[in-house]
Amino acid sequence: MRFFLAICAVPMLLALSHAGELSETEFLRLHKELRPEPSEPWRTIPWRISLLDAQQTATKEQKPIFIWAMDGHPLGCT
Amino acid sequence: MLKSKFIPVAIDQAYQRRQKDAEGEFYRKIASQGPRNNFQGTTQGLYIATASGKLLVYNNNRGAERIKRLMKQALDQFKPEKVEPVAAGKPDPRYNPKPPVGGLVVRVRAKVLGGYPETDDPWQKIFQSAVSRDNLWISKAEHETLVRGQIPESLQKRLARFHLVDNTRGEPPMWREDEIRKLNLQLKDGRLTGIVHLETQNGDCGYQAEIYGIVETKAGQVTRFDLVAKGEFWGEGRYTRGAPKGKFPLAVTFELADGSDVADAVPPQGSRGWVQGYIRD
Repeated sequence: MRFFLAICAVPMLLALSHAGELSETEFLRLHKELRPEPSEPWRTIPWRISLLDAQQTATKEQKPIFIWAMDGHPLGCT
Repeated sequence: MLKSKFIPVAIDQAYQRRQKDAEGEFYRKIASQGPRNNFQGTTQGLYIATASGKLLVYNNNRGAERIKRLMKQALDQFKPEKVEPVAAGKPDPRYNPKPPVGGLVVRVRAKVLGGYPETDDPWQKIFQSAVSRDNLWISKAEHETLVRGQIPESLQKRLARFHLVDNTRGEPPMWREDEIRKLNLQLKDGRLTGIVHLETQNGDCGYQAEIYGIVETKAGQVTRFDLVAKGEFWGEGRYTRGAPKGKFPLAVTFELADGSDVADAVPPQGSRGWVQGYIRD
């Protein structure tokens, strides 16, 4: 019986320790860690995501258009 | 300089080089003057153009000093001119997917938490500490199911297949449905918990993770959808080379988008070219 309990206890303890890796504290820490600060330089650029919107603004403001064209969206992929 | 002297726009050119509408035509007009003018393949790079569509500068280099030089060169060439705005016309629906009406947009971020070798290479350092960004779309029916306190199977599968990926170094391969080995999420009393095991058939790529989250609702709306997946990832894709060797820790987080970030309007990477295949109830 003691052997049987020991056998059962090992996977239970492993499961508990695995579950403990993502506690509510860890969840809150990671959620915050992966959220970028609004003050990060790349976030202060007034990016548009429509080329026609950019063209319309460029006609009004008499400025050239800077187009960052990637495979995968530069603001939404990586 | 970028903020004050230019109108900056960021696009996934896989859309613009294909779309049959005014946006696509204007893009192809500019790009056709550069070296990447075969629209069957990628045309990625940095373009500086006038509002009339005249290309001033093209480069596909990401070095800050070189880009600054090119920007100055473009400003030297630029002469203000009177140009009419291009009429938008009817957008090509295939390349203008919109978030589902009555549904939700969720910000998704991922980060490799360790496992990289030490490096002095500044580019590698950037990749190694990068946090990715994508959006998860939730349909109206799924939103309503969440409000009732359940997590629909269609949402579980979309979340796993298209968003539990390592996209921190580039465009990742998405999981096929038959690569979901285990997916068991429960929503009880506002707490979402579960486990996921994703793995390719030959085992060269996988992710085993726990998921924990808080889902809150008010007046028939989901008002909070904060989730974290944390576990071990292994493998890499064609465009995500340079992953740590063996298994490495990867976290993926989710939070409701409120439209305050321009990136909230970017379609999910997994919906690219086939939004109906991405969002299925």
